[in-house]
Amino acid sequence: MSAVIEAPVPRKKHLTFRQWVGRNGWRHVVAWGAIALALFPVLWMVSAAFTHDPSISSGALIPTQPTLENFQTLFSNPDQPYANWYINTIFVAAIAAVFTVIIAAGAAYAFSRFRFKGRKVGLMFLLLVQMFPQFLALTAIYIIMVNIGDVFPAIGLDTLPGLILVYLGGALGVNAWLIKGFFDTIPIEIDESAKVDGATHGQVFWGIIMPLAVPVLAVVGLLSFIGTINEFIIASALIQTPSTKTLAVGLQGFIANQYSENWGPFTAGALLAAIPVVILFFLLQRFIVSGLTAGSVKG
Amino acid sequence: MADLVLDKVDKVYDNGFHAVKDLSLDVVDGEFLVLVGPSGCGKSTALRMVAGLEDITDGTVAIGGRVVNDIGPRDRNIAMVFQSYALYPHMTVAENIGFGLALRHEQKQSIKDKVARAASLLDLTSMLTRKPKQLSGGQRQRVAMGRAIVRDAELFLMDEPLSNLDAKLRVQMRAEIAGLQREMGTTTVYVTHDQVEAMTMGHRVAVLRLGELQQVAPPQELYDNPDNVFVAGFIGTPPMTLFHAGLTIDGDSVRLKVGNQEIPLPREVLDERPSLRAHNNTEVIAGIRPEDIHSAAAEGLVPLNATVVLAEALGSSVHVTFAMEGQPVDESRLGSGLAQEAEEDISRLGHGQDIQGTAIFPPRLHFATDEAITIHVDPSRMHFFELESGIAIR
Repeated sequence: MSAVIEAPVPRKKHLTFRQWVGRNGWRHVVAWGAIALALFPVLWMVSAAFTHDPSISSGALIPTQPTLENFQTLFSNPDQPYANWYINTIFVAAIAAVFTVIIAAGAAYAFSRFRFKGRKVGLMFLLLVQMFPQFLALTAIYIIMVNIGDVFPAIGLDTLPGLILVYLGGALGVNAWLIKGFFDTIPIEIDESAKVDGATHGQVFWGIIMPLAVPVLAVVGLLSFIGTINEFIIASALIQTPSTKTLAVGLQGFIANQYSENWGPFTAGALLAAIPVVILFFLLQRFIVSGLTAGSVKG
Repeated sequence: MADLVLDKVDKVYDNGFHAVKDLSLDVVDGEFLVLVGPSGCGKSTALRMVAGLEDITDGTVAIGGRVVNDIGPRDRNIAMVFQSYALYPHMTVAENIGFGLALRHEQKQSIKDKVARAASLLDLTSMLTRKPKQLSGGQRQRVAMGRAIVRDAELFLMDEPLSNLDAKLRVQMRAEIAGLQREMGTTTVYVTHDQVEAMTMGHRVAVLRLGELQQVAPPQELYDNPDNVFVAGFIGTPPMTLFHAGLTIDGDSVRLKVGNQEIPLPREVLDERPSLRAHNNTEVIAGIRPEDIHSAAAEGLVPLNATVVLAEALGSSVHVTFAMEGQPVDESRLGSGLAQEAEEDISRLGHGQDIQGTAIFPPRLHFATDEAITIHVDPSRMHFFELESGIAIR
């Protein structure tokens, strides 16, 4: 046989404009619509932050006389200590993120690697609890925090450590599931090999499993960080002292007053609050795509 | 270095599956023991119990005289090579090999020296800074070996370490591992389902079936004198041809009736197996290895009529699968028992209840399917087993 079999060459077709719209064009329309929808609030916020006394309805999207006075207001009013809120928020969010990762990973490791009584029930229970938003339990949480405060004032009501504790409990379920999904994809032989090599459970966890799970840990940490910065309901219920407030609660104070809606300082403050999130996003970006999908699909 | 003693070891899983039954094995210091058997025979479970990765339901495992039932894998001073290699993906080759030493808090310089020595032994010196995913299958396998040999462990455990390699590399690594073991003299238990590995690598081979030990013997001994029908059928490729046969002993004349044909047996057969007389006028299971069936007539060979089912020319020889009238041995006695139905479907190639067997003939012989041929068996090389128990008659 000397005949050469040629691979079929795909023929290039020139599309008419109508065909192009039918096949690809509408995707562009949808994409641009989505971009506009996503960017408009951001643009408006940036614009308002640099405008003198803006209101929701008035004003151009590009301020005619850009000003920094909104930012100065943020840092000059002792009744509304923006700098304190900022530090508080970063403190709470960072600690909550770090410990969420550690606690959820610990739970996930146990659920993924050990076979114990109540394992399946435990997993289902975590999932079930996660279906109800945490603020449904707000009253109960409030009472618990009041009582804890009576015994340990440092972690009771109106304290940041207390707030962190509440956040840690609330986020456990879904994160443990997410991380467990990732752990399940790490072959158990790797654990066993390390054990035969002489590693304890702790050494396997910290030395082998955690480094391999960095993508999903980054995602969980980031989501927890953002979630904590944005969280309003629980923080507003548990924190009363102005200097202890978080950004979400504090900033809301600017616009809560019916007759003096300070949109200027509010948007300026919100803009500054976005900076750490954006930075974190850029730093962890490469993990996010792999992390979000890696946990869900085996292989 | 140490010996390994398994004393009446049992493994029953939570779901009630009895994976290993009453397994007793003595592996002497420096020995290379191969555990072999069909899939599901409990060989990996047995190995994992020695490693401490599975709980021991009953019995004791002792390494170097120390009972290790309640000692964790990390304190058993063993090294294990896994089928999947189980390398640590985030560590370099050097870190992979040195991991066990680092866990034992050895000096950095000492770790470096030992890793370098192991690497040069395994031809990995130029790979030390690479990550596992940058290595080929054979190199990964070597790293897994390196991780084992660097530790001065008392016992090497290997769980089908070559089954993920391609055929050529497997031949090479087979020789390397066997050579390495000889050099180091470390007691080794090697699990495989591969005939060739079992025959070529170990000092002794232990055959397992459905969790039960069938026979432990040096490879040639196992091949020449299988203890029972299962070992006879399992060891050797192509397998031994096994069939029911009626035995008649009349003075010094011994005859074997297979279907409607007869095989007269020489006197020596009776002399070598005194207990054969006790089976006079009964049915036994007879077996003959493929290389003891010849294509050409010769002195002492017995001609039998058969039909060609399949002829495979391998270049150096022709494997002829033939059918012969008579009663074959129940497949379930030969297979794992788990895959019984599947085996029955494929093994007969449509020849109903006939005996089916394989012969190895010289190359460049041509056979057509369904061709009637005469095969010549060497009656002095036959094997005999009791019909009910399947135990060898000697």
